[in-house]
Amino acid sequence: MSVYVTNTGAFLPGPPVSNEEMEELLGYIDGKKSRLKQRILKANGIKTRHYAIDKDHNTTHSNADMGVEAARQCMQQASLPMNKIGMLSCATTQGDMVIPGFGSMVQAGLGIPDVELHTSHGICSSSAMAIKSAVNNLLVGDQSSALVVTSELSSRLFKHTRYEAAGGYDTIDFNAEFLRWMLSDGAGAMLLETQPRGRCLKVDWVRSFSHADAYPVCMGIGKPSDKNDSRTWQDYSTYAEAEAAGALLIKQDVRLLENIVKLGVDGALRLIEEGVLDISKIDHLLCHYSSHHFRDKIYEMLEMAGAGIPEEKWYTNLYTRGNTGCASIMIMLNEFLQEQRVQPGDTLLLMIPESGRFNNAYMHLTMVEQ
Amino acid sequence: MSEALQIERPDVLTELGQETLRRLMRSWFDFERRLSRVNIINRLDVGSFTIEDYRSLLLNLRPQVIEGGRWISRCASSFDREHADVRSVVIGHAKDEHRDYEVLEQDYVAAGGKIDVIQQQPRNPGTEALHAFLMYRASQPNPADLLGAMWIIEGLGEKMANDWADRIDELTNGNGSYTKFMRYHGDNDDSHMDKLYGLIDRVCNDVQAADDIVRTADVVGRLYTMQLEEIDYVDE
Repeated sequence: MSVYVTNTGAFLPGPPVSNEEMEELLGYIDGKKSRLKQRILKANGIKTRHYAIDKDHNTTHSNADMGVEAARQCMQQASLPMNKIGMLSCATTQGDMVIPGFGSMVQAGLGIPDVELHTSHGICSSSAMAIKSAVNNLLVGDQSSALVVTSELSSRLFKHTRYEAAGGYDTIDFNAEFLRWMLSDGAGAMLLETQPRGRCLKVDWVRSFSHADAYPVCMGIGKPSDKNDSRTWQDYSTYAEAEAAGALLIKQDVRLLENIVKLGVDGALRLIEEGVLDISKIDHLLCHYSSHHFRDKIYEMLEMAGAGIPEEKWYTNLYTRGNTGCASIMIMLNEFLQEQRVQPGDTLLLMIPESGRFNNAYMHLTMVEQ
Repeated sequence: MSEALQIERPDVLTELGQETLRRLMRSWFDFERRLSRVNIINRLDVGSFTIEDYRSLLLNLRPQVIEGGRWISRCASSFDREHADVRSVVIGHAKDEHRDYEVLEQDYVAAGGKIDVIQQQPRNPGTEALHAFLMYRASQPNPADLLGAMWIIEGLGEKMANDWADRIDELTNGNGSYTKFMRYHGDNDDSHMDKLYGLIDRVCNDVQAADDIVRTADVVGRLYTMQLEEIDYVDE
């Protein structure tokens, strides 16, 4: 039994928002311009992104709405109707509702009856968990089709009012502001089937390695700004108190971030050692971290170790579509396939690094033609 | 007097050399994860590291830094004439580092410690194990596997210089005046790597040699970790 990616889809809300426009839209914290924006944007290289909120901070599309749109787009060309899908496997960092699971909301939006449902919880790598659950479900023979839907609506976290409620301009540090200039909204979907159809992608394997046992939290929401306070957001008497303490801000420990690159390399080296991954046979590498993070010394070392992937094989649409967390890899795969650069026999390596508490996922695909 | 024999950086490593480098990289990443699990290093990561922690760290590093000069010298003398080029590299290395501990002692005093305390501090159990293992390996004929030890210990030197020193100053309100030992190791990154590639190419001639290098890297990583774990059990 094999599993194939037979269709993909993506949805990006509203028009692209440029670097010049984004602060106007998200709002000036205490009416003041950010001191860090240019520096952070220069480092991540993003030029445009999309937001599911407007300048008055009304939500134009809910997170589930975006997932539904991406799924519909994915199913447009599919050879089975939406109501025949056997499994719906969803991922998001934060649903519109705290509970129930995001998958329930997407299912309702799509109107798929009697489906086997899965929602994975995490950040970027939750997409890989959702894919792997779906792939395995098909491999054991429980279902013959699975729709994977990943969506993110992080812009709601970046409204200036969030930061003002947590102390305002003077109290917001680099770690609290970092992701404001990094993350944006969008959704992606893929249809997995046990039956290949036309030109499609055979799923060779999906693997991941998590290192939460070794490292502290690097990206998260829930801890207050005061590092000596060990409470998390629900430990406060009211949510207002938690917000005032900064426990609802999304933060990145930038100092720990470089570990994600090393661990990304470590995982790839493990897969090489296991004989699962042959770097020399990879035709395309899709990664929502841009290649310049892997340059310098570690890149040179990989070259010397015969495990480097030449620059021309890297593909990313991070710079124009933004970093949409768990949706990124599917939005990227969708656009890459639309460009029709992949030929039958080509192999794709998808790398999904998550800095949350360091989980790196890898997916290996081969283009086949029926 | 003739020039010291040189080991040149190769353009490309052999297949075995490439595999060994990949295994060494994995050994290093494993070591970094082990370090992160050690209490005192976790405190550095989460931001609760204090000046007392820093003094304990220096106190426990000094004996191994002193021994460092000894095992490298022993290692050099264990290479026969067939390995004169390797011996040259190792001798150069021993000369570079054999008085590092003096800088470390000055840092300890600048960080508020007393010189007689650090000078009388015995080796902790992890240091004992690390030193014993290194001296044992260095006493074997042509101990090329110590390339694995060099990989871990030099890697740690760079990590201290590029990461720990700034973090320690940040958390203890320092201005660099007591993190000189750690910062000293950040120089010459490129030449260190060229030397490493050259040595892999030179000594990694068969699978046994490759396995020995990686095993020594693994063991040194574990024993170094043990040395740092012991810090939380040693009184200043």
